[in-house]
Amino acid sequence: MAARRGATVELREVTKRYGETVAVDRLSFTAPAGRICVLIGPSGCGKTTSLRMVNRLIEPTSGEILIDGHNVLQEDPTELRRRIGYAIQQVGLFPHRTIGQNVATVPELLGWPAARIRARVDELLSLIGFEPARMRDRYPAQLSGGERQRVGVARAMAAEPPVMLMDEPFAAVDPIVRERLQNEFLQLQRAQGITVIFVTHDIDEAIKLGDRIAIMRAGRLVQYAPPAELLAHPADDFVARFVGSDRGLKRLALLTVGGAELDPPVDPSRLGGAPVLSPAMTLRDALSQMLASEAQVGMVRDGDNYLGVLTLSHIGRLLRSEQPT
Amino acid sequence: MTAGEPLIRWDWLASHAGEIGQRVGQHLELTVIAVAVGLIISFGLSLLALRIPRLYGPITWTTGILYTIPSLALFALLVPYTGLSLLTAEIGLVSYTLLILIRNIVAGVRGVPEEVREAARGMGYTDRQILWRVELPLALAVIFAGIRVATITTIGLVTVTALIGEGGMGYFITLGIQLFFSTALIVGALGSVLLAMLADASLVLVQRALTPWTHAR
Ligand SMILES: Nc1ncnc2c1ncn2[C@@H]1O[C@H](COP(=O)(O)OP(=O)(O)O)[C@@H](O)[C@H]1O
Ligand SMILES: [Mg+2]
Repeated sequence: MAARRGATVELREVTKRYGETVAVDRLSFTAPAGRICVLIGPSGCGKTTSLRMVNRLIEPTSGEILIDGHNVLQEDPTELRRRIGYAIQQVGLFPHRTIGQNVATVPELLGWPAARIRARVDELLSLIGFEPARMRDRYPAQLSGGERQRVGVARAMAAEPPVMLMDEPFAAVDPIVRERLQNEFLQLQRAQGITVIFVTHDIDEAIKLGDRIAIMRAGRLVQYAPPAELLAHPADDFVARFVGSDRGLKRLALLTVGGAELDPPVDPSRLGGAPVLSPAMTLRDALSQMLASEAQVGMVRDGDNYLGVLTLSHIGRLLRSEQPT
Repeated sequence: MTAGEPLIRWDWLASHAGEIGQRVGQHLELTVIAVAVGLIISFGLSLLALRIPRLYGPITWTTGILYTIPSLALFALLVPYTGLSLLTAEIGLVSYTLLILIRNIVAGVRGVPEEVREAARGMGYTDRQILWRVELPLALAVIFAGIRVATITTIGLVTVTALIGEGGMGYFITLGIQLFFSTALIVGALGSVLLAMLADASLVLVQRALTPWTHAR
């Protein structure tokens, strides 16, 4: 399928009060079309409330939410929700409907013709790594936790929504499965060009998936930035602590060997046990290999092409230069 | 029972086969009407209780009282108003199904996992669609458990309606008691028990057919 453009989602001064409690406090940010925007922060900071206001499962006390410039508060909530994908941690698959019927939920609500629904269901099942003929007629109880999560994501994407809301969709599965689901999801999202607002409390997940990260605290937005910038320039101590004292290493995971400054090639015989690094490798992996080989340097090769030498001091300079304290 | 007479007189059974069949039919008819009408009333009251939760208490309290009235007394109370009639029998029988059915319908719907409801709403189901397409189908197993209990209870109670001229297999029980005739007594009692077992087994089959997801492996 051709990549489609997602919609732009804009929150303007959105506030939600429950009596005296202010769950969300004048929250403003724009999720650019086709990007993943991650909401992160400690438990109770208002992530879920913010997300659920976008599809009006919760009504804001004040403020505006615009999708491609249209105020969602002026739309019929049911119609609105059918145009917005929704996936949650507990998945909430319908136990009495087969996998195929679960994925078909929103297309059915929208009255798509049966043939189109069937084609879309099979397409999505394939995209999430299922063999349609084998999985279509199973019930959710017959799947593993990871498989159910996949179906939840496929169901949320089924009607080709321009926007998707995801509330900790991968939090309930074990780390290995989670990593695989994250990778699959990134591919799907890039291919379909959907705008995603993604809630998590896992900073590594936020850095991995987010094009933008919104850090929240007590209902307020503290910082809104791309992951690299967040790691390089945390807005305050709270953000710095939240992203972790290893934020330097986390940044290295976002940078590649190919993007780093290199020393000119040196005769390999003079480099001793230096590891061979490829330009696509992250600086974090490169550093790890250099430390493991007790080498100060690594040889950067792109196939047969010897590009140069990466040194520990290059990496250290990168960390220091963009991380004033 | 007269001394020397056998416990079961097979010749009587053979000569009364037609009548027995007729009474079985009546027994089933009384049961089906009672459970069906009970289900319709219970369904309405359950929906009301689900929409307005504070009505659930009064509804179960009232149907609970009905449930505790001894059946003999209930039929006797009704006769002055509705006579010795099918209507009298059904009013009594229906009133005994209500508590069980309402409890199970409400419990079944309330037992639907919150995340399933949340996902349904989040994907754009209306409240009505959530009820009919999600909550009620998922409550079916629990609702069927209620229908089974209500049916067995009703089949037992139908025998009591013999005292107001109905009765199904109960007719043979009263006949046996009046005439000290063990054959009729056994036909009535055993027949009623067999009917209950058969009805229960059929309901299990219907439920399995209606809820394939509960036994997919
Ligand atoms: N229905 C509600 N009534 C009262 N307070 C609520 C309600 N929902 C959420 N809150 C409060 O709003 C705050 C934000 O909640 P939530 O958005 O669920 O946080 P998060 O998803 O970041 O953990 C919390 O302090 C929570 O207690
Ligand atoms: Mg939450």
